[in-house]
Amino acid sequence: MASLAAFVVVIAGASVGQSALGGADQSGVLVSGTTDTVTNLDPAGNYDFGSFAADVNIYEQLMGFPNGAKLQPVLATKCFAVGGNKTWRCNLRRGVTFHDGSEFDSADVKHTFDRVIKINDPSGISSLLGNLKSTKTNGKYAVTFNLKSPQSTWRLILATGAGFIVPSSYPATKLQANDQEQIGTGRYQLTKYTHGQQAVYEAFGDYWGAQAKNDGLIVRNYAKSSTMKIAIQRGEIDMAFQTFTPTELASLRKAKGLRVYSGNGAVIRYLVLSMEREPTNNIAVRRALAYAFPRQAVATRVYRGDVKPLYSMPPAGLPGHIDAFASRYGRTPNLAAAKRALQDAGLDTPFPIELWWTPTHYGDASADEYAEIKRGLEKNGVFKVTLKSTEWAQYSDALGRQYNAFQLGWFPDYPDVENYVVPFYRSDTFVANGYKSTKMDNLIKASLAAKNEDVRFAIYRQIQNLAAADVPIIPYWQANMIAAGRNNVRGIPSTLDASFIMRYWKISKS
Amino acid sequence: MAAKGTSLRQYALTRLALVIPMVFILLTLVFLLMRVAPGDPISSALGGRVPKEEVDKIKADLGFDRPIYVQYGDYLADIARGDFGSAITDRREVRDIIKENGAATLELTFFAMIVALVVGVTFGLLAGRFRDTWIDGGGRLFGIVIYAMPVFFLGLMAQLFFGSYLGWLPTSDRASPIVDATLETHTNIYTIDTLINRDWDAFVDVSKHLILPAVTLGLVTAGVFIRLIRVNVIRTMKDDYIEAARARGIDERSVVYHHAFRNALVPVITIVGLTIALLLSGAVLTETTFNWPGIGHTLILYLQNRDYTAVQGIIVVFALVVVFASLIIDFVNAYIDPRIRY
Repeated sequence: MASLAAFVVVIAGASVGQSALGGADQSGVLVSGTTDTVTNLDPAGNYDFGSFAADVNIYEQLMGFPNGAKLQPVLATKCFAVGGNKTWRCNLRRGVTFHDGSEFDSADVKHTFDRVIKINDPSGISSLLGNLKSTKTNGKYAVTFNLKSPQSTWRLILATGAGFIVPSSYPATKLQANDQEQIGTGRYQLTKYTHGQQAVYEAFGDYWGAQAKNDGLIVRNYAKSSTMKIAIQRGEIDMAFQTFTPTELASLRKAKGLRVYSGNGAVIRYLVLSMEREPTNNIAVRRALAYAFPRQAVATRVYRGDVKPLYSMPPAGLPGHIDAFASRYGRTPNLAAAKRALQDAGLDTPFPIELWWTPTHYGDASADEYAEIKRGLEKNGVFKVTLKSTEWAQYSDALGRQYNAFQLGWFPDYPDVENYVVPFYRSDTFVANGYKSTKMDNLIKASLAAKNEDVRFAIYRQIQNLAAADVPIIPYWQANMIAAGRNNVRGIPSTLDASFIMRYWKISKS
Repeated sequence: MAAKGTSLRQYALTRLALVIPMVFILLTLVFLLMRVAPGDPISSALGGRVPKEEVDKIKADLGFDRPIYVQYGDYLADIARGDFGSAITDRREVRDIIKENGAATLELTFFAMIVALVVGVTFGLLAGRFRDTWIDGGGRLFGIVIYAMPVFFLGLMAQLFFGSYLGWLPTSDRASPIVDATLETHTNIYTIDTLINRDWDAFVDVSKHLILPAVTLGLVTAGVFIRLIRVNVIRTMKDDYIEAARARGIDERSVVYHHAFRNALVPVITIVGLTIALLLSGAVLTETTFNWPGIGHTLILYLQNRDYTAVQGIIVVFALVVVFASLIIDFVNAYIDPRIRY
């Protein structure tokens, strides 16, 4: 043991005078940590946040959110509907080059959208382009998108991961592998990528816009947030984004040498109620749950204020959001009304109900979250809750087939009220709860054909009110966008907004 | 002598022939377990975002809806061709996963084994030699405690004490971000790569990163050695030839170090082979605790996503390592002790 201790001390002591390469703080390179994982770097092969967060450094879309949650042209100069929402045209920016030196033009745009559809990767994002009929070039610097049906939100689709523009040299029918060169037009070039370990980015000198505020970027992957927490406290990394537990965040807020920043977020959590399975196929049960749901307790006791109670699927702050559930069922739990709703329907209280949740996919706090929900719903003998959980691999396969009330979360494809409404309430909803409403389907159809924002948002308000009345889903919290940074890191707050994009190029370190 | 040579060859051939059915049974078990377990890679990747009909269509496109015996036949045919396939989720070739992440595990387990042997042999010999003294008591207690302690708990304690509290050592990964970014890899074994590059600063950096995970995994494994060697030393010290050596007037120091200790260490060879399996299973937890990007850490990620191809490939490699390590130990034992062959 003595020799072992001596060995430890010798090696530790050998590097007291750390080398120029030995510590992140000796360079202008920003080092960030994340617990997210990357599946495929090729934008055609991913539909997960970790991969999107990597791609946003390398690739750019025609439209995007370069400066906040407001949609802006990026590689396009303008995108507009031509004669209704079924045909969209984009004029392209000139003088843009890819990382390999090739010039960006309309052929690249057509190639990008064609290949996403053609590859149709099992882990990919092609489902977002389900409404795209064809992409046509109009000369070198304009493209036309022909859709199968009107879609007022097409410009937002262009801002998703499906719209990351790749050069024509990318294979048309297969993915550019992770170990091959990733070529985009973004501020960073990926210079080294070790799967599951870290990605190394270098500033792209020929970038068409403003250069990154740091000398380069390293994003390091962590399997556990507890390890990432120790790393940022020790200064092994400069900042960390995604995802600490509430307890870790509370500890980091008290730690010396670093700060925790919080801004508007876009992630939401909700409880899906089956319209086909007992007992949630009974509207009285669904409404009783809506009356009794303990949103504040979850937000304050479990998440310590890092999430806010949510009273409609779109998060508060997005244009078109209304607190539909608060208006109908109250802002705080109304246990008397919940009990009355059950008793009026001839149901005995405490009414037995099973709630399903999954332990790790939505973060380690899910266990506490559902314990708190159980406690809230069981107050005053309204419900008798049985909690059941299973890991995501099994859970995701059983959605809509085995569970009558189950936890899900949503990270948006784009920060617009439509993305929080249409996928959830249309008849072929992915949540597979059997919600079918002709009235809702008609409203959704009308919203997609709406020719101006006022009309569109008015329809979305009707949709939210109808959803609160039918209660196929109970939304319960929206998360803040949270990042931690060492004290020498500047600019983190400038990228915390509802677009949920970590724009590393806006962050510098001194 | 000729008879002895033939016998060893026959023994070796028999043992080698047994490897084939062992691997076949293993391949079958892994395949079936992955298919029987609920969930699949497509639902795991797209569930909760994409309608079920689309998920089912993708599963069908990938052939997951075919009869299980057809999928099994294809799987065996691929393996027979030496094609382990590529991961469904991230398209990495299984052979690349093994090459890159396997090198990290090899590095970790190699140094952990050194720690285990140094600590295990030292404590075991001392405890056996000084039986029923405070040294023996301390050694036994230490052996039992570290053997019983979960590796992730020991790792976490080490991170908090040496990393957070003392600030001596890094608590995660194989190298500092900048070193990792600039390191030119030749073997993916970082200590060797930094030596090949003659980059001494980087060598110190990767060595520092190796200490906590290797010592943690090594200590847990050392518990087995301590107990075994102690018992062997006590038994050997009672053997007739030790008494005879003493009777011939050989000094006690020579009796203990040249006669007793050497013979007490022979069974360790067998245990080293068996410990490979223990090390690999321990590496899965150690790697996760220390964010060590080894094959065990990767296995967990693929298991969570039910990535059939990747999990099958990695488990088969794990098993082959254990099988061949056992095989080598059998050969060595058979060579040393001819009784084993009969």
